[in-house]
Amino acid sequence: MGADEESKSRIHDLVGAILGAFALVMLVTIRRQIDTSGPDPFYKGPMIFPLIVLSLILGGSLPSLWRLVRSDGSASWRLDGRGFPTSSLRVLGLLILYLAGLIYLGLEISTCAFLFVSLWIVGQRSGAKLIGIPIGVTVVLYVVFKYFLDVWFPTPVLWELLVE
Amino acid sequence: MFENLAAGFIAAFSLPNLGALFFGTVVGIVVGILPGLGPMVGMVVLLPFSFAFPPDVALSLLLGVFCGGYFGGGIPAVLMRTPGVPSSLITSFDGYPLTQKGEAQTALSAVLLGSFAGGIISVFILAFLAPILAHVAASFGPPEYLTVAVFGVVLVVMAFRDRLAQGLMLLGLGFWFSTVGIDGATLSPRFTFGTLAMQNGLHIIPICLGLFGIGQTLLLLERNILTTDSMNLSRSTLDFSKLWVVLRYWKTLIRSGVIGTFVGLLPGTGSILASFMSYDMAKRFSKEKDRFGKGTPEGCLASEAGNNAVPAGAMIPLLTLGIPGDALSAVLLGVFTINGIYPGPLLLIKEPVLINTIYWSMLLINLVAFIILVIWLRPFAMIVKVPGRLLAVVIMVVSVVGIYAVNTRLFDAEVAVAMGVLGYILLRLNWPIVNLVMGVVLGEIVEDRLRQTLSLGEGSLSILFDRPICVFVILLTVLIIAVPLIMDRRRKHH
Repeated sequence: MGADEESKSRIHDLVGAILGAFALVMLVTIRRQIDTSGPDPFYKGPMIFPLIVLSLILGGSLPSLWRLVRSDGSASWRLDGRGFPTSSLRVLGLLILYLAGLIYLGLEISTCAFLFVSLWIVGQRSGAKLIGIPIGVTVVLYVVFKYFLDVWFPTPVLWELLVE
Repeated sequence: MFENLAAGFIAAFSLPNLGALFFGTVVGIVVGILPGLGPMVGMVVLLPFSFAFPPDVALSLLLGVFCGGYFGGGIPAVLMRTPGVPSSLITSFDGYPLTQKGEAQTALSAVLLGSFAGGIISVFILAFLAPILAHVAASFGPPEYLTVAVFGVVLVVMAFRDRLAQGLMLLGLGFWFSTVGIDGATLSPRFTFGTLAMQNGLHIIPICLGLFGIGQTLLLLERNILTTDSMNLSRSTLDFSKLWVVLRYWKTLIRSGVIGTFVGLLPGTGSILASFMSYDMAKRFSKEKDRFGKGTPEGCLASEAGNNAVPAGAMIPLLTLGIPGDALSAVLLGVFTINGIYPGPLLLIKEPVLINTIYWSMLLINLVAFIILVIWLRPFAMIVKVPGRLLAVVIMVVSVVGIYAVNTRLFDAEVAVAMGVLGYILLRLNWPIVNLVMGVVLGEIVEDRLRQTLSLGEGSLSILFDRPICVFVILLTVLIIAVPLIMDRRRKHH
């Protein structure tokens, strides 16, 4: 699929318009987002560059916004025919849970759990791989980060609760 | 000079450095062979580990992945017409037809010899050109740096001019990311949304790790598993006799290495252009033009020599100006700055041993990658059969834990995951993600130089036109914008 054909998808225009809207909100609220109380003249101050770059985003989004509003019927919401990314979204959701897991369950349990469920989601059904890979990776991560690199990981909240 | 060269030689041959470059090269070859990964993923995953090492060792580790990735990318292109890295697509034009004719060994000899020679030639050009450019850049003030940085930005945007609006938006977004946090000059908080965590800003490392380590692997989850049983290799090592056959094209080899280095030197141009230009020039000068596209080792040789010359070429603006030419060298810039080393014209004077260690290490990496693949050709080629989905989930978890480990801040891991989502969307949309990375990397440079230039000019940019180097670079920038647009318009009319 060439660039021209791809860009006909309205998803491109929607993403462009979202970026443009974001830049517009930032531009409108910029005085609240940046402290400009210093004595510097404007051209030395902290606002000049953000103003330029937000305008750049807004300017770049205008064609997308125009196409999205105009909607001449030749474009569709179809992107690339690869379907809805169900497994990717599930793994992504798990990854977000994994971040919380690092705090509540700790590195070892959350890594094992994340890998086990993720491998299941992506279609892995071999018992040896479902158990072996999570344990193997967890051991490697433990040895490298906790043992060799001596990286501090937060004490799991659940562990603290159990101890109390 | 020779003292520094000798000191660099000793540092490069130290055991930790040899170990790092060997490991990095192996990882690079593996991620290069696996379609859908590539050297960027390998580099960002190893990045958190590299902070435990001294800068020379850390750079050898990552340069190993950088160069090794291009070495590996040509193998699946030849054997399966599936390029491991995008630039190896051009290698498959002649490599795969040769494999179909039962001459996979000849094609792979051309790939490996091309990669090796391209890498070596480019390191010599780097060692020769870097001091000259650094000498010129030593006279640079903020206005010169500003114009050069803008030139780099324009090159990146124009490289993806078929997606101009999208490229501009992503460049702007990257610039905006670079403004988040405490402003260095005035100490004013910017876009922190009242949170303490945002005051440290959005660092290049979690952004790159998220975009490539997580975004790219999320995309990998959707790829079908490659099912191939036949590797069409007559033996498990490379057939040395074929190397002599390929050496017939030594002129193509040298020409392609030089082209690749100079293309790599230009920001945003990338390895695909290097491969394509080398291939195109080889075809023009060849006595066997008709064989191109039907299976000639000369085509494979040119393409691989071109793309493997890019890493050293991209190091030239990075080391001499502090301006990375692409996303991969932007990650290397991160390694320099985290170690308190700031690339620029003074780097060659302040850190001569480090620079010479880099030169020696790059030579060694090319030699090591060549030897590894010559000896273990079949085992490495079989890596392509490893299911990408298994690797993807493992890479994700290593990326998240790794980025947390850099500063022991969970916020960095959260940024990486958020960037992973953004990266996935942009990769799926096929938007020029490199513009975003270049925006983040060049944002601080452009902003600082812009404000300094405005201060020098008391609020006016007219000062740029009083300085010959600035005028020259501005004219070059105008040409870079105008010429492709005029050519595109002419092409449309025809």
